[in-house]
Amino acid sequence: MDRDLLRQCLTYHGESFFNKLKCEQTENPDFQAVVSDLCKVSCESKSDGQDSPLVEQFIARKADILFCPAWKTTTRQEEEHEEDDDAAEPYAIMPPVELFMEVSYEERRAMLYRDLEKGDILVGRINNIREYGFFLTLLCTAGGLKRDVEDLELSALCHIREIPSTGSHDDPLSYFQTGDFIRAAVKDIDRYQEKITVSLQQASLSHNLEHVKLGVVPREELPIHYSRSVCAAADSTETYERILKSCHGYHNPSVVAYLLEKVGVSDTHPPSMMRGLQSKLFQEEDFASAIRKKQSASWALKCVRAGVGYFKHSHHVEAMNEYNKALDIDTNNVEALVARGALYANKGSIMKSISDFELALKTCPDHRNAKKYLCQTLVERGKQLEEQEKLVTAEGLYRRALSLDDSNPEAQEALSKITDTIQKSIRLREEAVAKEQDKATSSQISAEKLRKILKEEKRMKKKRKRSASSSSSSNTSSRNSSPSSSSSSSRRRSKKKKKKRRRSERGSKRHRRISSRESSRRREEGKSEKDRKVKEEDEVEWYPAPPNTAATFLNQKGGPGFGEEEEEGEVMVKDADDRRISQLYSLSAASEDEESDSSRRENKRREREERRKNSLSRSLEREERGSRESLDKSRERGREDNRKDRRDSDSKRRSRSDENRKRKVSCSSAESEYSRKSSFKSEYSGNSGSASKRVERGMRHDSSKRNSFDGGRCESRGREEIQEAARETDNRKGKVVDGSRRSDVGNGKRPEGAGSHNRQCSVTSVPEGRATKDLPSNLLSIFNQIAQFEKQKGAGPK
Amino acid sequence: MEGPSSRLPPSLLPASRDWMVGRRDSGGDAESDRDIKTHFRVCRFIMETGVKLGMRSVPVATACVLYHRFWERASVHAYEPYLVAMSCVYLAGKVEEQHTRTRDILNVSHRYFNSGSAPLECDKEFWDLRDSVVQCELLILRQLNFQVSFEHPHKYLLHYLLSVKSLVNRHAWSRTPIAETSWALLRDCYHGAMCIRHIPQHIAIATLHLALNSYGVELPVGEKEWWQVLCVDVTKAHIDAVVSDLLQLYDMEAKCV
Repeated sequence: MDRDLLRQCLTYHGESFFNKLKCEQTENPDFQAVVSDLCKVSCESKSDGQDSPLVEQFIARKADILFCPAWKTTTRQEEEHEEDDDAAEPYAIMPPVELFMEVSYEERRAMLYRDLEKGDILVGRINNIREYGFFLTLLCTAGGLKRDVEDLELSALCHIREIPSTGSHDDPLSYFQTGDFIRAAVKDIDRYQEKITVSLQQASLSHNLEHVKLGVVPREELPIHYSRSVCAAADSTETYERILKSCHGYHNPSVVAYLLEKVGVSDTHPPSMMRGLQSKLFQEEDFASAIRKKQSASWALKCVRAGVGYFKHSHHVEAMNEYNKALDIDTNNVEALVARGALYANKGSIMKSISDFELALKTCPDHRNAKKYLCQTLVERGKQLEEQEKLVTAEGLYRRALSLDDSNPEAQEALSKITDTIQKSIRLREEAVAKEQDKATSSQISAEKLRKILKEEKRMKKKRKRSASSSSSSNTSSRNSSPSSSSSSSRRRSKKKKKKRRRSERGSKRHRRISSRESSRRREEGKSEKDRKVKEEDEVEWYPAPPNTAATFLNQKGGPGFGEEEEEGEVMVKDADDRRISQLYSLSAASEDEESDSSRRENKRREREERRKNSLSRSLEREERGSRESLDKSRERGREDNRKDRRDSDSKRRSRSDENRKRKVSCSSAESEYSRKSSFKSEYSGNSGSASKRVERGMRHDSSKRNSFDGGRCESRGREEIQEAARETDNRKGKVVDGSRRSDVGNGKRPEGAGSHNRQCSVTSVPEGRATKDLPSNLLSIFNQIAQFEKQKGAGPK
Repeated sequence: MEGPSSRLPPSLLPASRDWMVGRRDSGGDAESDRDIKTHFRVCRFIMETGVKLGMRSVPVATACVLYHRFWERASVHAYEPYLVAMSCVYLAGKVEEQHTRTRDILNVSHRYFNSGSAPLECDKEFWDLRDSVVQCELLILRQLNFQVSFEHPHKYLLHYLLSVKSLVNRHAWSRTPIAETSWALLRDCYHGAMCIRHIPQHIAIATLHLALNSYGVELPVGEKEWWQVLCVDVTKAHIDAVVSDLLQLYDMEAKCV
């Protein structure tokens, strides 16, 4: 309890109050501590008990609140000097109230001498200038104290030393005239002899008034309260209330807030004498903001839960809506951010998902799922970047993933891999530089080399030409994989099956592309064919299982995309590429699986035919799953080629098919040529820069590996001859061509390494075989003729 | 006019509904006494809600005045007082340009009645509650003939405080928490209908008078007392009336809580 305040109160209220106080505060230990001290005070109290006992009772009862040190929220506030600007008056600046109270001259004088302090500001008029200074008649106070002093006949001396001099020779007093209004700081007060000295030196101001300029002031700049009190004194009808209501400041709508701050009362934790309303009783979690926060979180969580429900049933749009709703309700809701990030990752918007996860981790740095997902997504993004040849950035991402979760095996693996790759590429570059230097020195060989290069280029051009119609060639090749079956094809049928064929063609194209990848890799490794086969089987197990990140997991489910934004769209395209590739991997693996099966069970044709159907339908599915945009171009081309194909004579096709057949037979290594072509095509069709880069790299590889490639072809030639012979015998029998059986026979003869051939058949031969049965006999004979012709042609070069 | 009281679900009703019990068979005096206590409790609710909603003093005062004026015209039997109070808070926020959301009002009220409970779910009940608050707001507006802006003593009190302050020695003033005390007294006025029975200036002067009195601060006396200057028509009797009303409210607190 504030002893001074209590003593002051006791002095005022007297004995009876003290008794009530003792009665009411018996249980207050604070009061018991000070009560003995207060006994003396109450005895010498002058009070005559003028206040009602009810008020005393109230004060006594609330004494623990009233005299509690914590009750006083105002800290000793330094009085700020307001700029006396009428326009900016934030509250009603009133004339001193003693003016209206008509307090006696003596009392006011005594009050002023009591309350005036060093550093206060006084305003006065010069009435006398002497050689040692000038005298001021005081008009009013300004800043700190607001008192009515005009009629108190107070004068103050300003000594010449207290006037700041502007020049060394001038008399400072020459700047002042009698009648000037001067604002000065109180230098000293002699309370007994009632003498005031003032100063014009800024240094003599109290520190909170330092910005006030001392010296001469024009009449307009005299304090507002002074001018108002002059008005009030002149007009006796003016009352305090009327002046108050005529002030700007009184009508200021935020005057309460302004003045509350000025008097130092808090309005957010307002004081109250009611015991039930003490601010210490209010708990922070009962406040509106706290409840709202909690409520928003719970509402948002509900939405997230609903969204996860949708997500589990693959309703991705609805899930996204729920997540966004959750984030609307509660921005930065961690669960919603994580869930949305996961959804983004699943939809392939990896950048968006990363930003979501990071936001979640910002608000909740230890969120386990957020960490895990972000790690996986970073690895995923790193892989994307790796494919775009942005190795260093990708490496950075892997490192960041590891910094989140240093035990993540994928990130570790990827990081070690990429560091290897980077080192390798650096080495390669160095080697290339060294080679170039070599070249420069040996000019003799360069001529030869140039010739070689020219030759190669010619060959390339040829291939390119072919690749320009590669879809058609691949089309025919797939159909003609067994020549007799191709010979049985008719224009009408091709029209009928146009659509189907186009699809299967695309599927097979993809096959080729992927197998080319495999084979190129294999070539790189320089393995034998048998090894290759083994590898293929290995891959059967390896490819279908995509990396276990959430992102890839969902990449394979097409679904409606969210790629509205540009950036996302870009990512989507890239993703589509990836997706296709991974699908192809798994698919080729599947068909290879099938092959090995089929080679084992040669005689169970029917069973296999069924399986072929399956593979066909699978290829269709695959097709649908593939991303539309990226395929549009090739589809167009395919259509064109088809048309051309139909228009062209069969002979043209046959001549091509001849080559195709050869290549087909020669297994995947031969196919790699096709794949290169197709990749060229993609280059020409103006794919993204990264794609073309990739292709360039491929070219480099090709040229370096040409030799081993040729060797592979030679090897397969022997087998090819056998097949050829078989085919001839078949034809001599003059039977109606049955492509499927043919391929079976072929398979039987070549249990290993015939994979691609078989695959092509399996895709296309079934419908053809069926169609043949429906054809009229005259057409059949024509086909036979064509087939024979083809055979002769094919056999010719041999 | 159909009262919205029927729409207030039990979750928002206070645990003690003793003001309803035995209302019919009690006499006039006892009944009015019970009503006063009810209104005291509801005003306490408004104050507490106001603090928890972060409302300033003036909007809370407006809410209380709306509340008291409403019951001047309506019978306590017809409407649910706490619902009226919630709508008053909502309406006062609009009137005094410190908008409060119904959701926050509902949240804080719900927690006031069910302390420590989980926040409301966003379900039908929530929307029903919200609807009833909004409907009741319209009812209040009609009952008060759309006269919902009032002059409050707050502005007067603050200006008086500054004027009185310059009469007192600055050190004595800074030692004495007169501003806090008078502000607290002024806020506490709104627990009862006294806030609409007295004119704002009188209330401001009375609270300042009581605050000065509590600390035994003596002001210079001239021809007129300081309060006579601040408001021309105020008399000592006025001040005493306000003070005695106020002191009754403090007595009421002990009886009601």
